[in-house]
Amino acid sequence: MTPALSITATAILAVATKVDIAVFAACVVIVLCGAIGVVVSRNPVHAALFLVLTLFGMAVLFVAQEAHFLAAVQVIVYAGAIVVLFLFVIMLLGVDREENVMAEPLRGQRPLAFLLGAIALAEIFLLAQGTQWATGATQVAGPAGGPGSNVEKLARVIFTRYLLAFEVTSVLLVIAVVGAVVLARRYETTATESPAAAQVEEPQSPRSEAPLSAAPPPAAPDESHPDESHPDESQPAGEPDAAPSGAR
Amino acid sequence: MPSLVAAAFEAPYLDYAALAPEIVLTGVLLAVLVVDLFVDEDRKAVVAQLAGVGLLASLLPVVFLAVDGDDRSMFSGAYVVDDFALVFKALFLVSGYVVLLMSTDHIEEGDYWKGEYSFLLLSSLLGMVVMSSARDLLTIFVALELLSIPAYMLAGWRKRDLRSNEAALKYYLLGVLSSAVMLYGMSLVFGATGTTVLEDIARELGGDASEPLVALGIFFIVVGFAFKVSAVPFHFWAPDTYEGAPLPVTAFLSVASKAAGFVALLELIFMGFFGQDNVWQPLFWVLAVLTMTVGNLVALRQTNIVRLLAYSSVAQAGYMLVPFAVGGSSDEAAGTAQTAVIVYLLIYAAMNLGAFAIVMTVARRTRSGEISSYGGLFTYAPGLTVLMTIFVFSLAGIPPFGGWFAKFYIFKSAVDAGTGWALALAVVAGVNSVIALFYYAGVAREMWMQPVPGDDRTPIRVPPALGAALGITAVAVMAIGVYPQAFARLGDLAQLAVR
Repeated sequence: MTPALSITATAILAVATKVDIAVFAACVVIVLCGAIGVVVSRNPVHAALFLVLTLFGMAVLFVAQEAHFLAAVQVIVYAGAIVVLFLFVIMLLGVDREENVMAEPLRGQRPLAFLLGAIALAEIFLLAQGTQWATGATQVAGPAGGPGSNVEKLARVIFTRYLLAFEVTSVLLVIAVVGAVVLARRYETTATESPAAAQVEEPQSPRSEAPLSAAPPPAAPDESHPDESHPDESQPAGEPDAAPSGAR
Repeated sequence: MPSLVAAAFEAPYLDYAALAPEIVLTGVLLAVLVVDLFVDEDRKAVVAQLAGVGLLASLLPVVFLAVDGDDRSMFSGAYVVDDFALVFKALFLVSGYVVLLMSTDHIEEGDYWKGEYSFLLLSSLLGMVVMSSARDLLTIFVALELLSIPAYMLAGWRKRDLRSNEAALKYYLLGVLSSAVMLYGMSLVFGATGTTVLEDIARELGGDASEPLVALGIFFIVVGFAFKVSAVPFHFWAPDTYEGAPLPVTAFLSVASKAAGFVALLELIFMGFFGQDNVWQPLFWVLAVLTMTVGNLVALRQTNIVRLLAYSSVAQAGYMLVPFAVGGSSDEAAGTAQTAVIVYLLIYAAMNLGAFAIVMTVARRTRSGEISSYGGLFTYAPGLTVLMTIFVFSLAGIPPFGGWFAKFYIFKSAVDAGTGWALALAVVAGVNSVIALFYYAGVAREMWMQPVPGDDRTPIRVPPALGAALGITAVAVMAIGVYPQAFARLGDLAQLAVR
């Protein structure tokens, strides 16, 4: 794809067949409609489904580029796994109904987004027109040489050269499952929290009445600490704002 | 159409002896997971014991490999077992064992999931063990994720404590952000060189002036690891995470996780990017100065011992960044710099784990992390006081204890490099060591000279597991202080060959 940045539109048209152009045009419509749908639809579930449309359009474009493996991955991983994950989260959180998206969490967010988007677009055009240095001289992408399809070559690399990383990743998935279950699981018994579970930072004993005269520097209020020049107040040692009432 | 007849599949060369530590560790962690399911709730200590024995069992092949002494390389140089890898594997396994000892009572008495705790600790250690041998970008990244993801979960292990939740969330979000930045940097380097193996990257890059692409890639990778080792200005997660996480996890994060970040930096900088010192040397210079100074100055104002140790560990990371900032001028300087970092990491692990073990022991009775609660500790727990004094003075770098030797090597690397920038950095490090002495000595003063708050002088009971952890770390700190040559030799042996 690297040289394509500098090739002008006419050059592209010269090498492309009519079928290529038709496929490209159809995909562009699908991809853009999906993308616009994601942004404008008010129902989060519809937005997620529009995303699937975009991703499918991209997959077809990959096929047109003869990147069959990438197309398969695009459908399986993105359109399959990731969007399903989105839908799970949307439905778990119970926001699968119309949301008022016009309320801005941050003031001036929208104009800023338009501005930054325009700058990014301009940048892409400038880079495509002008220089090539941003992509470097060495091109490592493109069709791999040698016999066999891309899929075959990828499989070969994964199971030989990157075998260890591949196996380690499988261990990582086990860990992720265990961790997610443990973090999401509720305690069966509402055991009373034993005192040892209390962290040391919580001054439960009346020790805070002891004057802090031995603190090395003269007491200066840290940004994250209560002013220690009032030693008679019993204060939580942590951040007062981050952990309200220091509760556990 | 591609031919449907596949070329004959050649199985990759696997040296099972070289992989033995990883295989044993993986087996143990899966065994822990399964055994945990069949053990009654009141007998969960068995699981922790199994994990401990398993850790020591995976240390055995490391020792055998070290005795054997051959360098073994697999996957076209992506995975190498050499002295560097073995030294760090041993460090990670031993410090993991000490953390497990420290955890035993803490986890037992708290309301935690006990079996899964051991499982996650072991899997994080597996990531570190893989990291010590990783010599290509992809393996380094996978190892980093393997050691980080369990750590995110462990930081939030006190599920019903808001502060622990905050700790885990901050650590997770910043960790993921740094991973993304780093991965982007790696992809740029891969794009420029066409390979992920560090040796080949070094060959491709050579010592030429950097392309912007490569410079940007190296910059992003270093920034990603700066998060991991909590270097200023990427340290914001550290104090909150250290304070909120369960204490053994804090000890683990501040020692093992940080050491793993440095291991990766050593591999990347001295194997992969050595010729590009004009990119990384100034970057490390700035990081080192900021990290030392900010860490020490903020530590001065802490009244909570855990936050103090958190900022002190930030500052210690700053000292360890110094050799990186001076190591690029020649092969010789690179060797000295590597030795300095390796020696510092080994000694820092012992003294910091020891300090955390004391904090945990004392907190079992006082239920407080305030430094003022250490007042008059000597009058009712003289043994603990002496040990804590040894640990803090060692962290400060005062001669009879291990820490001075580590600092000495840092200064040596800077002075040996001899350039003006290196000497300036040595001066900054020297000034910072003096600043650090104030707060370390403040802790000692509190223990030895102040009255006991509340006048509660019942002696502190030290549970056997914590006692063992204290014993191991104390012996290590003392032994290094008395006989530092042994560690210097380890550091020299473990140098990576600079390309």
